[in-house]
Amino acid sequence: MSAVSYGIARGIRFQILSEEDLDRIHWGTLHILEKVGVQVDSPTCRKLLKENGCEIDEKARSARIPSHLVEEALSKKKSAITLAARDRSYDARLDLNHSYMCANGNGAVAVDFETGERRNSTKKDLVDSTRICDALPNVHIHWPMVSSTDMPASVVHLHDLEASLNNTGKHVMYETGVTLEDAKNLTAMGYAAAGGEKEYRRRPITSCLQCTYAPLQHDAGVMDASLEFARNGVPLVFFCMPQPGATGPASLVGSVVVGNAEVLSALVMTQLSSPGAAVIYGLGIAPLDMKTTVRAGGSPEHAICSAMGTEMAHYYGMPSCVGVSGTAKEPGIQAAIETYTGCVGPLLAGADLMCGIGLLEDSSCLYLEQVVIDDEIVGAIARLIRGEWADDETLALDVIEKVGIGKDYLAQKHTMQFLRTDHFMPSLIDRRSEDTWSTTGKKTMRDSAREKVKEILGKHEVKPLSDEVNKDLAAMIKKAEKPMWGGESRVE
Amino acid sequence: MEEIVTRLKNAVINYEMETIADLAKEVVDSGVDPLVAIEEGLAQGIKTVGEKFGKGEIFLPELVMGAEAMKAALAVLEPAVPSGKHRATLGKVLIGTVQDDIHEIGKNLVSTMLSSNGFEVVDLGVNVPSEDFVKKAAEIKPNILAMSALMTTTMPRMGEVIAPLKKEDPSVKTIVGGAPVTDVYAKEVGADGYSGDASGAVDSAKKLVG
Ligand code: B12
Repeated sequence: MSAVSYGIARGIRFQILSEEDLDRIHWGTLHILEKVGVQVDSPTCRKLLKENGCEIDEKARSARIPSHLVEEALSKKKSAITLAARDRSYDARLDLNHSYMCANGNGAVAVDFETGERRNSTKKDLVDSTRICDALPNVHIHWPMVSSTDMPASVVHLHDLEASLNNTGKHVMYETGVTLEDAKNLTAMGYAAAGGEKEYRRRPITSCLQCTYAPLQHDAGVMDASLEFARNGVPLVFFCMPQPGATGPASLVGSVVVGNAEVLSALVMTQLSSPGAAVIYGLGIAPLDMKTTVRAGGSPEHAICSAMGTEMAHYYGMPSCVGVSGTAKEPGIQAAIETYTGCVGPLLAGADLMCGIGLLEDSSCLYLEQVVIDDEIVGAIARLIRGEWADDETLALDVIEKVGIGKDYLAQKHTMQFLRTDHFMPSLIDRRSEDTWSTTGKKTMRDSAREKVKEILGKHEVKPLSDEVNKDLAAMIKKAEKPMWGGESRVE
Repeated sequence: MEEIVTRLKNAVINYEMETIADLAKEVVDSGVDPLVAIEEGLAQGIKTVGEKFGKGEIFLPELVMGAEAMKAALAVLEPAVPSGKHRATLGKVLIGTVQDDIHEIGKNLVSTMLSSNGFEVVDLGVNVPSEDFVKKAAEIKPNILAMSALMTTTMPRMGEVIAPLKKEDPSVKTIVGGAPVTDVYAKEVGADGYSGDASGAVDSAKKLVG
């Protein structure tokens, strides 16, 4: 096992695509980029591509990207990326050998923990869920789980970042940098929290996930912001999300080609603008359920695509960030099946970063109970993928000899030692006898999850940012506030 | 004549996207009233397809192919309708995804469902500037303005459209939707209807014109 202890150690891998499959997807993608190209809404980015030899159609706002530019971008990319954390023991090293889990983010709806009411999410929901994620052992990176919709609309995302930084010591990844101005503000807040630009560039404690726009498009605001983030030393994830059958071919591999073309073209623009920028390969491909028209998050197809996305990323020597979610409406059996299916496939395939667990209704609705249940599921999967090996200690020949025939191993030191490393210790799964269970109130897992949530919220403490930094952050948020219709003074 | 109208209806039910335009030409040449062909043929066909989809008997691509077939035939039949006459629809809907928001799948589905249920739909696409909604509404006088917003940052745009729209013409009804939009929020921005999915969008649109 390796020396890095944070995150999930991976010893087992399964492979879905063969080397030949990977090559074919790669060549197919290059073909699409040269022949069809991508739509690039940002004039700045089109100019950049034109200067570097792409064929641009200004009317269609599209760019055809020659293969050599992709190869060049890949030669400049970074393979090992550390997502640093405010608390250093939480540094996540995406080194192609460890897996990290991230909760889902930016839901807009929450079910109130006290009243059970389903309503738009608030900053308090974000604070609570952030503290819970900080306390959970199998959530390694933090993505603000819900939006602070009770804050003025123009600065919701800045409140989200402030609340996150104050309530977890873990790395914070956001996905709300969709204009140049957002990028500037979010960067500045990251710099302030890290103790200045220099310190931030050495140890980036925030990062930004950016979505490409299926099929084969790049939003202007998102790409302009991305180039700004890259210049500022903020690590990026380019996350493609074609929906097989709707915004991508119904064949999963076909949708991987579309998504791959989107991620690679975003990588080209970023590396042309800021060579060596930290870019993570992101993919979250879930089909549109053709009966209900809901995106099938947490489906086996979602899992297989996230696994294939990881294989593509590793083929390019890039860390992957792949998706999981669920369509269940409340914590329970369906939610558990979806989280398990969605996580186990990609983690077995070696996903470096997975987002995200904990939100229901396909990345929309927060239930605090589900966050802790999903943490447990990931814990079990972590055990599944750790890997086994035969050495003197695990073979335990001396212990077997010592105990001999017909006796038990309970009183052996070896037993206690390996209990700690080889046995998953559940926190919610209830293995007590039926008798004990029924005489103590027949608690369901959801009941236990509620208790755990209460316990964490009651006890768990996170060291906030200093008063001085918080004053700076508050001033930045104030300055960024703009009149906008809805909850704020309307511009007439 | 009966027969050819029935064939038109069946062409929609069987998703004959490639050949239905030829059939529509045949209808025009045969002297059948294009309005009858539209109402008894196309509209009945798409209604059947829509109902099957609502009952979960067919899949979304089939619904969309049915709608495409209808569109292809309409392109031939509508110009042949004598001027002054109009096909009967449940009403005109102007739809789009709000400014700064590019999520289109939900909006497209709502569009498809509305048109397959008898509404005439004018789709402005995604990232539609708020003024454009208002301008276009003044121009085409829809019965209903429908907006989709998928982000908390773009939801307020719905209010930004509804306020001036209602000032100009209080009779226009509005419906809104998209993942972060809730019933409560819809009321807050002054919308007349809300739904969490595309079939609900049809119900709520029908209620508003009914
Ligand atoms: C697919 C997707 C994308 C795709 C969209 C592709 C496309 N061509 O449309 C891509 C990858 C481009 C994308 C981009 C972004 N996305 Co996005 N996306 C999604 C996702 C996963 C699914 C949306 C979807 O298509 N669902 C399937 C359709 C069928 O459902 P629907 O849209 O909800 O529509 C149904 C109902 O809502 C209703 N309905 C919809 N419209 C209307 C209208 C009326 C009138 C009525 C009555 C009903 C109605 O009926 C529909 C059919 O049943 C959602 C999460 C989610 N589950 O909603 C995030 C989500 C909406 N995205 C989000 C974000 C943040 C972004 C980005 C900013 C990310 C980034 N940093 O780049 C960008 C946006 C850029 C921009 N300027 O708009 C967030 C919003 C967060 C928030 N709190 O605001 C979400 C919620 C994900 C999350 N939890 O983080 N996204």
